Formats: sequence, structure tokens, C-alpha cells
Amino acid sequence: MSSEFGDEDLTRKQRREQARAQRKAMEEAAAAGAARRMRLTQLGIVVSVVVVAIVVVLIVTSGGSKTGIPASKTEKNSVTKEIGTLLAGIPQSGNVLGSPTAPVTLKYFGDLECSICKEFTLGALPSVIPKWVRTGKLRIEYHSMQTATPEPETFKTQQVAAYAAGKQDKAWYFIETFYHEQGEERSGYVTEKYLQGIASQVPGLNLAQWTSDRGDPELANEITTDAQAVNNNGFTGTPSFLIGKTGGAMSKLEYPSAPSDPTFLDEAVEKLLKA
Amino acid sequence: MSARALRITLIVLTVLGLVVASYVTYVHYAGIKPACTAGESCTKVQTSRYSELLGVPVALIGLIGYVAILASLLAPEGETSRFATAALTLGGFAFSVYLTYREVFSIHAICEECVSSAIVMTIMVCLSVWRFLRGDPDAAAAVIAGPAAMPGSTEPASPLGSAS
Repeated sequence: MSSEFGDEDLTRKQRREQARAQRKAMEEAAAAGAARRMRLTQLGIVVSVVVVAIVVVLIVTSGGSKTGIPASKTEKNSVTKEIGTLLAGIPQSGNVLGSPTAPVTLKYFGDLECSICKEFTLGALPSVIPKWVRTGKLRIEYHSMQTATPEPETFKTQQVAAYAAGKQDKAWYFIETFYHEQGEERSGYVTEKYLQGIASQVPGLNLAQWTSDRGDPELANEITTDAQAVNNNGFTGTPSFLIGKTGGAMSKLEYPSAPSDPTFLDEAVEKLLKA
Repeated sequence: MSARALRITLIVLTVLGLVVASYVTYVHYAGIKPACTAGESCTKVQTSRYSELLGVPVALIGLIGYVAILASLLAPEGETSRFATAALTLGGFAFSVYLTYREVFSIHAICEECVSSAIVMTIMVCLSVWRFLRGDPDAAAAVIAGPAAMPGSTEPASPLGSAS
């Protein structure tokens, strides 16, 4: 009897333990599930905050004008005045800025839609032009190299438009105005209206003549010649430069990380003037 | 993968990212050209208007981010530190996605250093989120093993016991 009772006690004990273990396992599973849900909720909150933050960053950084054309007349006048102050009185001939007798020549290869060229034009040239070009020591030739403009036809049209202004010795006004009012790359902002808008801001440009000159095949050939020079020199990006004594051999000029810093040009010109 | 191995992997990846971010920040402030096998594309990205956010170089933002991630990984292992790592890497990953979007659709040039950092951050976000969601595997193992696995204890540890 005692043995039977003993067996019965053992079974009850085992059952109690089994039930306890099951309860514990269920509690642990529930706790683990709750912890997991809590973690997922926390991550969800973080993801939501991050998404909102990125949307804000996108909005903040997309504030620039896509078309590039100034909205108001005051803005246009301000650009025209700034460029006028920089270039007024400096000889221009075709795509060349500066005296034909200047001892040093810089060949600037650019794409009018290239944002780094804009940084160079708006950052370095405002100190280079008064220091070296206005004083008759440097002449700058503008040449075309397609980089940022996606469609070859658009590239040709815009570069020829600049060279056509050069037929009236006003190419540099056109180039400077284009860079000042450059739109967002590959946004398709360069339209006929845009080019007409740039041309209309060039002081003294005969628009009818300019429109007619844009059809001159000689200007299109100039773009082809520039492309050959690009290949011959192995240029890979814009802006690219060649510098040398006027009429002499030209050598490549590398710019540092920030093309807006004119130091690299100052040093190169000084070196050539001393040579 | 053990918690220790996972943590070490994340630390190694963070140090890699930190090296890249430090280099790009140095290039930005030193005004030198970045090492780049793709011509001028790195310079184009790093001198674009998107290289700064409200006047702060994005390279510096990345560097600060990696330092914060490293700090969260070096902090004592726990629920809070794992959450901090996951949250920071999620932020870093989202920022990398934004920068890659700008490179591809706005600047139209790819910066090798930025891509390296984005790859590192993508691996890190996967690992850190996994690490956070699985909790403390050592504590869970101790619970499964029962009181015998917990020297000196009379009750099995709660799955959240070490997670504070």
C-alpha cells in the first residue's frame, strides 16, 4: 500500500513539476514575445524619425532654382552689373578674353552646364581677371568640352550660342552670365528660351545678328576642334586647363580640390612670367 | 554568431567607416584632391553644393556618426547600447541613401569613398538591427539551460534580466 501511495505521490509531484515547467515556459515565451514587440516598436519609431529627417534634408537641399534664370529683374540687373564690372574695358576677340599681346595664355576647357566650371568661374576668375587679365599679362581662351550636358545636340547648341556672341566680341559676357545663372545639372533647363534669356542680358549684343551667327558652320567646327584638343590632351573632366607662353608650347595645369581657389593659377602665371 | 563575435565585427566595420570618413573630412578641410580612380568624379562630388548640409561638411557629419556608433559599441553590452547602435546605424544608413541619391540623380558622379562608406553602413545596419532584435542570446541560453547554468542563482534568469 505504502508503495502504491509512494508511486501516486511521485506522479503527482511529477505532474506538478511538469505543469510548473509548462507555465514557466509559457511565461518566458510571453515575456520574450513582449520584448520582441517592444523592440520592433522602438525600431519603428526610429525608422519613422529617420524618414522624416531625410525628407526634411531633401526639401532643404532641393531649394535651388532648376531653371537658373533669375526670377526678378533686380536679380538679372545684379548679375549683369557684376559681370560688367569684371569685364568692362578688357579686350575680347571671339572666345578670347584679354590683350592679344599678353605673354601668357590659359586655355580653359569647360561645359556651360558643369557645376565645377561654375565654381571656378565664379570663385577663381573674379580675382584672376583683375590681377592678370586686366593688367595685360594673361589672356584666357574658352574652349568646349562636353561633360555635364547629357545630350550632344544641347551641348553643341549652347556652346555655339556662346561662340556666336564671340562674333560680336561678347562671348565672355555670355559665358559669365550662363555660369552665373546655371540651373541644376541634367534638369533640362537649357532651352531656346533660356539661351535667348542669357543673350538678352549681354550688354550691347545685337540679338538678330547673334541669332543669325548661331547658324554659322564655322562655330560648329570650332566645337569639333575643341573635342579633338580634349582627346589629344587626354582630359577627363571639366574644367581642364592648358597654360603656356602665348604662341609657345602649352602644358596641362591641374587644379586642387577646390577650383574656386585661384592660387594654382596665380602660381602658374607667376612662374611663366618669370621664365 | 555569438554576441561577442557580432560586436567585434561591428567594431571593425565602424573603424573602417571611421577611417574613410576621417580621410574625406581631411580632404575637405585641407583643400586637396581626393584619391580617385574615376577621373574627376570624386572631386565633383566633394566640391558640389551637396557636400555640405547647412554649412556643415557631410564628411564631418559622417565622421561624428561613426564616432557615436563606436561609442555605443564600446559601452557595456545591454538593451540600451544595442538600441543605440541600431538607431545610429539606421540614421547613418538613411543618410547614405540620401547621399547616393544625390550622387546619382543630382551630381551625376560617384565618389568612391562615399560608396565605400555606404556599403559599410549597409552591412552595419543589417547586423545591428539583427543584434538588437535578437536581444541577449547569452541570457536566453541561460534561461533554456535552467538554474544549473547560472552559478549562484536559485531561479532561472528572466529573458530581460540582463537587458537593462
